[in-house]
Amino acid sequence: MRLSEQAEDLAKALTEAQKKMWESWFDLMRAAPVSLPLSPPVADQWREMALQGLKTWTAESEQVVKDVAERLATTQDVVMRFLDLSVSAWKAMAPQIESGEDWQTWAKNYADHLRQQFLQFPQGATQAAQDTDELQRLYLEEWQKLVQPWVESLRRVPWQVGQAATGDGSAGIKLTNLYWDAYERTFGRLLESPSLGHTRELTQDLLKGFDAWVDSRRAILEYQSGLAEAWAEALEQFVRKLVSLAEKGEKIQSLVQLLNLWIDVIEGVFTTRFRSEEYIEKQSRLVNTVMAYRLIEREIVEAFLKTSHLPSRSEVDEAYRRIYELRREVKELKKSLRDLKAELSDQSKKGSHAAQSNGPPPDSHSKDHPHD
Amino acid sequence: MPFPLHLSPEETLRELTELNRKVATGIDNLSRLREEDLQVGVTPKEEVYREDNVVLYRYTPMVERPFPIPVLIVYALVNRPYMVDLQEDRSLVRNLLKLGIDVYLIDWGYPSRGDCWLTLDDYINGYLNNCVDNVRARHGLDRINLLGICQGGTFSLCYAALYQEKVKNLITMVAPVDFQVKDGLLNLWVGCSPGSPGMDVDLLVNALGNIPGEFMNFGFLLMKPFELGLRKYLDLIEILDDDKKLLNFLRMEKWIFDSPDQAGEAYRQFMKDFYQGNKLIKGEVKIGGKPVDLREVRVPVLNVYAEQDHLVPPASSVALVRYVGSADYTVKAFPVGHIGMYVSGKVQQDLPPTIANWLKERP
Repeated sequence: MRLSEQAEDLAKALTEAQKKMWESWFDLMRAAPVSLPLSPPVADQWREMALQGLKTWTAESEQVVKDVAERLATTQDVVMRFLDLSVSAWKAMAPQIESGEDWQTWAKNYADHLRQQFLQFPQGATQAAQDTDELQRLYLEEWQKLVQPWVESLRRVPWQVGQAATGDGSAGIKLTNLYWDAYERTFGRLLESPSLGHTRELTQDLLKGFDAWVDSRRAILEYQSGLAEAWAEALEQFVRKLVSLAEKGEKIQSLVQLLNLWIDVIEGVFTTRFRSEEYIEKQSRLVNTVMAYRLIEREIVEAFLKTSHLPSRSEVDEAYRRIYELRREVKELKKSLRDLKAELSDQSKKGSHAAQSNGPPPDSHSKDHPHD
Repeated sequence: MPFPLHLSPEETLRELTELNRKVATGIDNLSRLREEDLQVGVTPKEEVYREDNVVLYRYTPMVERPFPIPVLIVYALVNRPYMVDLQEDRSLVRNLLKLGIDVYLIDWGYPSRGDCWLTLDDYINGYLNNCVDNVRARHGLDRINLLGICQGGTFSLCYAALYQEKVKNLITMVAPVDFQVKDGLLNLWVGCSPGSPGMDVDLLVNALGNIPGEFMNFGFLLMKPFELGLRKYLDLIEILDDDKKLLNFLRMEKWIFDSPDQAGEAYRQFMKDFYQGNKLIKGEVKIGGKPVDLREVRVPVLNVYAEQDHLVPPASSVALVRYVGSADYTVKAFPVGHIGMYVSGKVQQDLPPTIANWLKERP
């Protein structure tokens, strides 16, 4: 059979397998203990649906079972995607080979093409990261997301409290208005005009936050770019491995064999890269910049909390610190007390031993005696 | 040159269909399992001491007259100590009990945010020392045996250097000693080589308070991302219909992802002094102001390590011989990885008698 026909048949087999996979998942979920909100069986949605089904299916299972079931479904998804990619590559390659082109050269070019695709996103995003206005917009968008739950809770809680406490809706409304005022004075004002903060400190924090956010964003992109490089390299190595197998006359005859070969190659590439100074620098920068941003983010959140008369993380931590120090002090005091008691007891024993040796003292029944 | 791929459509379809069938059936089987099927740490034990989150357990002896000097197992703060008693047929504890050893174990618990100020001083001079005193008092002994595992081995070394009047014999198992070893990926990432980029530990602790267990676990899994994230589950598909193997897998999986948060201040000192500063072998570590000098560890030492350990490289453990003050030093290697030390069938045959015999020769 010609290579292109083989590839075509394999693609059909893949489609058939995907259909069967759907059927097996559908059967599984139909038997689930409760009804599932099933989406129409559209191929692209299968994974989402599978995960949704898994949650219901394993709702009463221990956490480890839930997690393992999810990882199994993910593995199945990865296998299908891997085969999909392989078949696409094969289909694209077959006509070239049949027309006499060297397949190794073609495979190398294909790998290069994928490499460019892998790297396109991080590079494009890095370029975008140079645009300060765009970044400022994204930064504020993220803050909006961060603050929104607070706004929601401030809106809802007083209403519910009012109703529950008095059964009088109007009281709730008044309370809500109060909270809305508070919101307008704090979160709202800040959100509406981020450059006009309440205090110079807060404005400075927001500016520092922006710088830290830009740093962390760049670090994330650099890290992703490093991983994309590793993926591209893994692909190249995989092609090389296939070439070397062909040279030795060895054949890959099963999907599992192919998949295991891929895992061997990609694991090797990533492990080597993970040891490189370049990678370690990117990973460290990623962790350090994200943490720096998180610290500044906390300062800003704490400023909000302060204006809303709520305790901050730092204040709670400080209280914990005091409790911790007191706990240590109590332990030390208890230990000193125990040691002291033991010492007194020893002295008392020694004293009574000495007294017994010398005969009873005349006032041995005095009420001041420690054992009395 | 022949094309190396010979995947027949029929065979591929059969393989995929089989794979899908196994996954679907396997998930169905998984969903039928209940908590009681996945019990861990089942060897009978009783709580004998409790302080804050820390609990000291004594395992019920399995022989009429156990060896008179008990062993206190000091596990790492990372992950849970039930790894030494994962299940009946994979239990270091049970095997030691059968060999007549009286076994105690410290469970460090799950630190909450309120515990973020706990330091190594609290763990070593506080909890560990109090547990040792408790065991000594219960048995009317001046000295007891310590078995320190992984980070717990490093703690035990510090303890033995500071309190050797309370330690009879010391066993360290897969314990890091020299932290600047080139073959350790974890060591490289943390920034153990002088001048190399690394994590800013202060920033991390200041930002997070306690270090989340998930963060730690992610780092461990990232060291072998495709082996641990993909191949492991591909292999699982093959054993889904084997109840015994499936339960073994799930118990192990439960342990792997049961990662307590790390108390911030203790983490800060361990990472900065031990990992980044490599101060243990330099004699520069101080625990609660007390200097730790490994030359002061003069009690007999048995150092056990795993030859294929990717978390604590063998070079990190075997370095102990160069720094410890003991004249009675024994080293023993096992041809497994870090986790294999606890669960490999072959190791479980050899390791417990190695420990028990070594202890009995040093009464």
